[in-house]
Amino acid sequence: MAEGMFYNATNGYVEGIVRGYRSALLTGQNYGNLTQCETIDDVKLQLGPAYGDYLASLPPNPSTSTLADKTLDKLVAEFRYIQANATGSLSKFMEYLTYAYMIDNVALLITGTLHERDTKELLERCHPLGWFETMPVLCVATNIEELYNSVLIETPLAPYFKGSISHHDLDELNIEIIRNTLYKNYLEDFHRFVNEEPGIKGTPTQTVMSEVLEFEADRRSINITINSFGTELSKQDRKKLYPNFGRLHPEGTLMLSRAEDVEGVRIAVDGVHDYRTMLDQTGMGGGGLGNQSGGIGGDEGKSLEDLFYQKEMEICKLAFTYQFTHAVVYAWVKLREQEIRNITWISECIAQNQKDRVNNFISVF
Amino acid sequence: MSGKDREPVFPTRQALGIMKSKLKGAQVGHDLLKRKSEALTKRFREITKRIDDAKRKMGRVMQIAAFSLAEVTYAVGNNSIAYQITETARQAKFRVRTKQENVSGVFLPAFESFQVEGASEFGMTGLGKGGQQVQKCRETYTRAVETLVELASLQTAFVILDEVIKVVNRRVNAIEHVIIPRTENTIKYINSELDELDREEFFRLKKVKGVKEKVQAEEEAERQKKKKSSSDKENEEEAESKNVLGDEGDEDVIF
Repeated sequence: MAEGMFYNATNGYVEGIVRGYRSALLTGQNYGNLTQCETIDDVKLQLGPAYGDYLASLPPNPSTSTLADKTLDKLVAEFRYIQANATGSLSKFMEYLTYAYMIDNVALLITGTLHERDTKELLERCHPLGWFETMPVLCVATNIEELYNSVLIETPLAPYFKGSISHHDLDELNIEIIRNTLYKNYLEDFHRFVNEEPGIKGTPTQTVMSEVLEFEADRRSINITINSFGTELSKQDRKKLYPNFGRLHPEGTLMLSRAEDVEGVRIAVDGVHDYRTMLDQTGMGGGGLGNQSGGIGGDEGKSLEDLFYQKEMEICKLAFTYQFTHAVVYAWVKLREQEIRNITWISECIAQNQKDRVNNFISVF
Repeated sequence: MSGKDREPVFPTRQALGIMKSKLKGAQVGHDLLKRKSEALTKRFREITKRIDDAKRKMGRVMQIAAFSLAEVTYAVGNNSIAYQITETARQAKFRVRTKQENVSGVFLPAFESFQVEGASEFGMTGLGKGGQQVQKCRETYTRAVETLVELASLQTAFVILDEVIKVVNRRVNAIEHVIIPRTENTIKYINSELDELDREEFFRLKKVKGVKEKVQAEEEAERQKKKKSSSDKENEEEAESKNVLGDEGDEDVIF
């Protein structure tokens, strides 16, 4: 535990700030108040203490999406502040955090370029956390080949493109496959980083982040498998999208790649207790597919996605029990993202008068 | 009224015949149009009822659909998903074809929705996360659009029927309140004129007959007179027979 001696010298301030931010997250009590709201204005009022300044500029009765944008603005501002104060391996670690959003942004830009959209308006839709300096340059490219040759390889994501995707693939492959390939490469790289980086190796960061990333990898594998049923994604292609680590790797992913239906997934994840319980909880439907049928879904069981989110949030919550670790930053970002989604969900439910499902959010505090 | 509200025809028997057939035609037409109007109105009421149902249904379905979109946003976790989906869609999977339905001679366009076979365009959207919600949302919206198409075809039929019913009713009323009375008036007028003519003719004939009889009577009287005088003359002739050829400058004898 030698790292504990020096951690605070470099990263103590950031960790303190993040723990402060964590305390500002909405609690069950806050959510209870939010669900009692009748209008969006009430929601805005309830969010006052937590988001104050950011919501002040909103017009009366804002749309849920603008509300979500404002809450996201706060996350971005805080993230930028921490990033500015981060040094050494923490700074690198935070860059890794942004890569996930960059992948989404790049996928968005590629989609836009494929359809010859005005890339200026695409930039507005990009996730601010995934902003990188050379991103506006992507607008210069007018076709895919140009995009790949001159622009994409300059981005921080270039290593993830390299070796797995050539520019020939870009126009033929479904953008979703590109995105998931990138994400797979990203997850593997991130996993390698937390396990091999000298400043992180052997610290609690490695322990916590390995757990988080393994969970993320497994979640993606399972989701990709379930979501690919009924699409033209072949089993070989599917297998290529599974990250090469995680608790399911290698036997579980092999079996997942052969799964033909939800039952196959269930057998594949049988070895890992957590996932098996999750699949059992969702029932045979494998993720509450019939949830919406008939509209006001009285489905008691949560969907698989919900359970994954729940699990992720619990892991993130537990990350705060460790000290001297970068993982709190990751956990905080994820928790805050979930909070934004919760707020969006609750305000959506209120705006659309669907109060009976308003409690479908995930709160861990 | 009878004076001014009639057709400008000469009161002849031929015109009477034409008018009578016209009246008959108008009555038949009136019956037919009335029946058409009733059939259309029945249909119209039915459509109104169905529009009411469809609108209520649309309200519900759209609400569910909007909510499922909220679920997608929740599951995927960012707002760009909608944009990505609109960008990925290249071909319309859900299409509409029109067909015509004939209701008492009115062609009502009816829209029929169908789905193009083949894998869905964005089948892999949200592969990493939220894919199921996306698909579910797609299904919900497909149902919503179906309802919209149904409503659209009902609304079109509603507008067209409304127009046609107005026209038909106007025609029915025109025939009932203008054409039939006018034709009847014309017939009445022609009849009265013809009667008048008849009476005139009769009177004229009577007059002519009277004149003729008078003339006849006069002639008869003349003849009688002549007869009488000729018998006198005969007597004279015998006496004056020699004078006849000799007295050429004598006045003519008036009979």
